[in-house]
Amino acid sequence: MQHAIALAGGMIGFGLALGGGAIGAAIGDGLAGNATIAGVSRQPEAQARLQVIMFLIIGLVEAMYFINLALGFYLVTQANAVTG
Amino acid sequence: MRYLAEAAPGTHPLTPVCGDQYLNLLVVKFYYCAFTVDTLVSSALAIAVTLGIAFFVASRLTPGVPGKLQMVLEFLVSYVRGLIRETVTEDATFILPIAATIGLYILVANWLDFFPLGFTSILKPANSDLNQTLAMAIVVFLVVQWYSIKVLGLRGYVRRFTKPFEMSWAFRIGLIPLNIIEEIVKPITLSLRLFGNIFAGLLMVYLLTLLPSAFAWTTPISAVGVAVWKAFDVFFVGTIQAFIFMLLTIIYFGQAREGLEEEMGRGHAAASGHEVRATTPATTS
Repeated sequence: MQHAIALAGGMIGFGLALGGGAIGAAIGDGLAGNATIAGVSRQPEAQARLQVIMFLIIGLVEAMYFINLALGFYLVTQANAVTG
Repeated sequence: MRYLAEAAPGTHPLTPVCGDQYLNLLVVKFYYCAFTVDTLVSSALAIAVTLGIAFFVASRLTPGVPGKLQMVLEFLVSYVRGLIRETVTEDATFILPIAATIGLYILVANWLDFFPLGFTSILKPANSDLNQTLAMAIVVFLVVQWYSIKVLGLRGYVRRFTKPFEMSWAFRIGLIPLNIIEEIVKPITLSLRLFGNIFAGLLMVYLLTLLPSAFAWTTPISAVGVAVWKAFDVFFVGTIQAFIFMLLTIIYFGQAREGLEEEMGRGHAAASGHEVRATTPATTS
């Protein structure tokens, strides 16, 4: 019983964390892309440099989401290991 | 399909050295007297490959017309040197070996993940274990603290924790805890970012390889899909994460010099702050 409650709680928390993280990462990616488009339309010759920076920022932004995913999975396996 | 398969990701098996002692940190148990064999073996493999590439290139250096691999590595090294000159100072070339080694090692360790390591349970992507990434981040953290004390002096080092410098004294003293937290959080985010990305990539590929057993008719399509996804994950995410780890290392070195200009302007700079280290001779043109 306790195991089932722990697992269910872990799954629900994992889902919430994934959803929230995905929203945040999507907004962050959108902001980075928005700024890049604005920069390129203002200075088309800076496109190559801006794209490198954009991918760098996207890597940083999405890292938060992946930390969520990895730690959430870790916590769910920990909750799954709870017996009794 | 089974050539693409990954071992099920999860916790790494621990081999205790001196008993099963751990520090209970509520969320994570910190085993301070045990090691994970699979991570050691995988990182040893990555280290061997990194050293192999480096020594192979070094053994056949040609000054006139460089080989292709030599050209790539020379470009990378000169790029990192340019970054250090921009971000830290002109003469901080001792960062180059640390930053370039970290970048190349993480790159190799991430790219080795493209090979199907799932056939043996002892080989994993080396950075999919938090112990591995945290070790690198702590090394970077300690060297940054050492560099900060060396450049700013002990007084300037303590003063650095009372940022921002233009505020009033009472306000700056109140900000000391925040600055200490900011400094401690640096290695934690640095390690968690790399670990999270590599581990999540492993997890995604594992979950994707489970799908075809549910939809058997899609096997050939999904095998190609998984291969493409894995290539994207390893070569794009892995490269970006290696670059970000290296870049943040350099940026932290740059931040370790904060407050130096103000100190020098008031004539209170530590003597070591003025010292101009001998720059290493440029290996590239």
